[in-house]
Amino acid sequence: MPKAKKPADDDDYIDIDDAEPEGLKGADGGYAWEEEYKRSWDVIQEDASGSIQSSVLGISDQRKRKRRIRDTSIVQRGIIRHVMLVIDESESMSFKDMVPTRIHATLRLAEKFITEFFDQNPISQLSIIATKDGLAERLTELSSNPMDHINALRSKGNKDLAGEPSLQNALELGMHGLKRAPSHGLREIICVLGSLTTCDPGDIEQTLQALKQGQVRVSMVHLAAEVFVFKRICKETGGVFAVAIDEDNMKDVLFEC
Amino acid sequence: MRFFIDDLPVIFPYDYVYPEQYQYMCGLKRSLDSKGHAMLEMPSGTGKTVSLLSLIIAYQQFYPGRRKLVYCSRTVPEIDKALAELKRLMEYRQSHGCIDENFIGLGLTSRKNLCVHPRVSMERKGAVVDARCREMTASWVRNKAQSVGNIELCGYFEKLQDIESSELLPHGVYTLEDLTDYGKANGMCPYYLSRRVIPMADVIIYSFHYMLDPKVAELVSKEFEKDSIVVFDEAHNIDSICIDSLSIDINERTLRSSTASVERLGERVEEMKAQNSEKLRDEYDRLVEGLRDALAARDEDLVLSNPILPDHVLHEAVPGNIRKAEHFVRFLKRFIEYLKARMRVMHVVAETTPSFLKHIREVTYIERKPLRFCAERLASLVRTLEITDLEEYGALARVASFATLCATYDTGFMVLFEPYESDQSTIPNPVLHLACLDAAIAIKPVFQRFHTVIITSGTLSPMEMYPRMLEFAPVVQESFTMTLARQCFAPLVVTRGGDQATISSKFEVRNDPAVVRNYGNLLIEVSRVVPDGIVAFFPSYLYMESIVAMWNEKGFLTEVWKHKLIFVETPDAAETSVALQNYRAACNNGRGAVLLSVARGKVSEGIDFDHNFGRAVIMFGIPYQYTESRILKARLEFMREAHQIRENDFLTFDALRHASQCIGRVLRGKTDYGLMVLADKRYSRADKRSKLPRWISTCLTDVSTSLSTDMAIDLMRKFLKAMAQPFDLNSQLGISMWTNEHIIQHGGRGDIAATSAMEVDQAS
Repeated sequence: MPKAKKPADDDDYIDIDDAEPEGLKGADGGYAWEEEYKRSWDVIQEDASGSIQSSVLGISDQRKRKRRIRDTSIVQRGIIRHVMLVIDESESMSFKDMVPTRIHATLRLAEKFITEFFDQNPISQLSIIATKDGLAERLTELSSNPMDHINALRSKGNKDLAGEPSLQNALELGMHGLKRAPSHGLREIICVLGSLTTCDPGDIEQTLQALKQGQVRVSMVHLAAEVFVFKRICKETGGVFAVAIDEDNMKDVLFEC
Repeated sequence: MRFFIDDLPVIFPYDYVYPEQYQYMCGLKRSLDSKGHAMLEMPSGTGKTVSLLSLIIAYQQFYPGRRKLVYCSRTVPEIDKALAELKRLMEYRQSHGCIDENFIGLGLTSRKNLCVHPRVSMERKGAVVDARCREMTASWVRNKAQSVGNIELCGYFEKLQDIESSELLPHGVYTLEDLTDYGKANGMCPYYLSRRVIPMADVIIYSFHYMLDPKVAELVSKEFEKDSIVVFDEAHNIDSICIDSLSIDINERTLRSSTASVERLGERVEEMKAQNSEKLRDEYDRLVEGLRDALAARDEDLVLSNPILPDHVLHEAVPGNIRKAEHFVRFLKRFIEYLKARMRVMHVVAETTPSFLKHIREVTYIERKPLRFCAERLASLVRTLEITDLEEYGALARVASFATLCATYDTGFMVLFEPYESDQSTIPNPVLHLACLDAAIAIKPVFQRFHTVIITSGTLSPMEMYPRMLEFAPVVQESFTMTLARQCFAPLVVTRGGDQATISSKFEVRNDPAVVRNYGNLLIEVSRVVPDGIVAFFPSYLYMESIVAMWNEKGFLTEVWKHKLIFVETPDAAETSVALQNYRAACNNGRGAVLLSVARGKVSEGIDFDHNFGRAVIMFGIPYQYTESRILKARLEFMREAHQIRENDFLTFDALRHASQCIGRVLRGKTDYGLMVLADKRYSRADKRSKLPRWISTCLTDVSTSLSTDMAIDLMRKFLKAMAQPFDLNSQLGISMWTNEHIIQHGGRGDIAATSAMEVDQAS
């Protein structure tokens, strides 16, 4: 069908006709039963109740497609990246809206992310921080060996989830780790959070100022909803804040960071 | 942007206009053209004030006859906001080539907000500021200062006397701060400056009371022309305001204080007689001749004004038995003694005003006519005796107003005496109420005097109620919905708890443990799912206290604490403002908070919870009034007889307008989003749902009525995730934001420059 004239050179043009509800087709094009376990009643409900869910997904899919066509902009990403990956281990991660629980899905995804990250940025360095119960601890030191990180994640037998995360402690710990990073590299902190609150020892405003001064870019993927202070920190440090609708979306969003 | 509505050019100070704003302006123009009254309901947070002001200013400046705009609002912050909008609008108009000559726009509030005198403005209570001001500005004080000297006058006031009215204030729009700054800079009193300039101003913004309350309206609003445009903004409670302005309560303390005041008055009369009987004699002569106090023309001297409407003031001479000052004092004493005797009765007495007056006549031989002149006579006496410190005479003024109101109005009032506060208490606390039952009494003169009165608010549904209650016939009566590119609020009606037991705040079931448990669980689940701030409203303080106590016992509050901090609104204003401050801090730094407040309290009336301060609002139950109150019962009966409004209809209407007002607090603007949870089984019924404003009820899908707690939580989660996705403002263009092309598309006229350009194009 001939489409209406598109305004020239508008990358963000959303073509409404193009929306296809991504319902039961498998993401890899295979048979539906070969896919990972999907809660099909969720999908059906989204389609029936009206436009929001399916149209939002449709729009984000279109964006994804446009992005794949475009060049990945190297300008933002830099060549040497020092990234601290913060993983939330609070009680809210035991929630079952992702299979089998949020924390399991996150850890699985983190492994994929680490592999992809070192694929795309071979001379960068990564470190993993976990936060729970009002504290933050470093799981792995800054290193460029993906297997270190993946092994640490896998061997984390201690998968106890407790209490509330402390964003301030995690950010401070991350900044401390990044101090040793040379200034010609890009300093980043990427967080995956599930909790709607944060249990902080001091004023997170000061941490924000310190982050801005140290030119650290903070990005976050949240699994539940938009929290004002999290979004603000991301915006002011020049990072990205996104809320994941489901697992596939989480993967896309995390890889964006 | 600039567009035309019919043939009127409207300058709108933003680049885009919302469709509902455009329609609102069309509706407004229709009522202005037809010179009739209008009722317009537009959702909160959609720029009502700016649309109102831009259309009316355009109308005012374009058509001949520059009709004055009188804009009435509820609170001082709202007045300030409206003035700021007006200022921005006028600047925009000027920058776009509109020449508005000699435009003056200003606001008026009490002396407390506008005084610049170093000593007087430091006083904290408004009444004290008024009294101190009068001490320095009353005409007898100034006369004495000329002859005697050594009396302190207010320099700012004096400076004002020397300047011509037309040169007082240069053109422009003045917010309250601008006015005080101007006053300070030029040494002039801002309050009296404002009062002086009002007859010449094009736009005046003040509070409802200056238009409706007979006690103050006379001072300020008597000189407006008939074709002035009167706008009541946030007018959903206007009937309560009308009723309150004509109701008086008298308790034992008032009577004690008035006895003391009368004694003092008597002493002063004796003093004055001894010193200088000239003044008293003059007053007597004037009253004999029936000259309406010419002194009353001096506004500054009018210290006590008449509590009844100007139409009902008798244009006759004051009756003989209260002309002489000492007779009047004795008259007052007798009346107060009578009231005291009545307050000793131990049972409830409810009667109409004529029967009350009859009883007075039987016992004390006080006739009706002198009672009618009571307030006026007291005012005149106070002036003659040159008393400025009216704080002490406040109680006496109340008693005099009581007498005047009783004696003037036959219908629409009720005298109610209650010996105990409630039926259960044992300590006597007798109160004598004069309750106004008819809301139309105070506002009918406004409708009759001005031929264009516009009533607007975000929650006026159901709209048939107001014209009946207030006795007027609107020419335009419309309700607008919000046009949204994405559905940014979700009203949910929760009727059952997790155990499928129904939940309700109905009086019989509210203390049922299952209901309490289900409400508790609802609060816990919502605080687990919603980020940042949640506001919860209860129908009354009593209910809130009892349910919170029960929750505390059973441990629900500790569960909520794990996710959010808890703040509570109390009847004390200072405590509540501290709670609000901390609530906002908690919402801003990731801690999250729940604010428990009451549906008829200060928070629900005035405070906005936009963006992260209010992501969800929960309305626990339906906020009905206390139905056992005798005054309410009398009012319902009156409405049934006079206006044929059923009791149930009115109670539901009143409850739902408060509920709508509460849930509307959470949405401010189109980028904001929020959840609205109505937690009561009765909301799912059609008669309640139909009374919600149109912009809310159209979003209530069948799925979202009659949910149980877990279903609601599920929907909330999905909603929050969807709302957190990035939202491009440009996608709204054409749907919820219009430019000139869209206006033309939808049948309007757009901008004449654009249309004529198009015509030229087509021609060539």
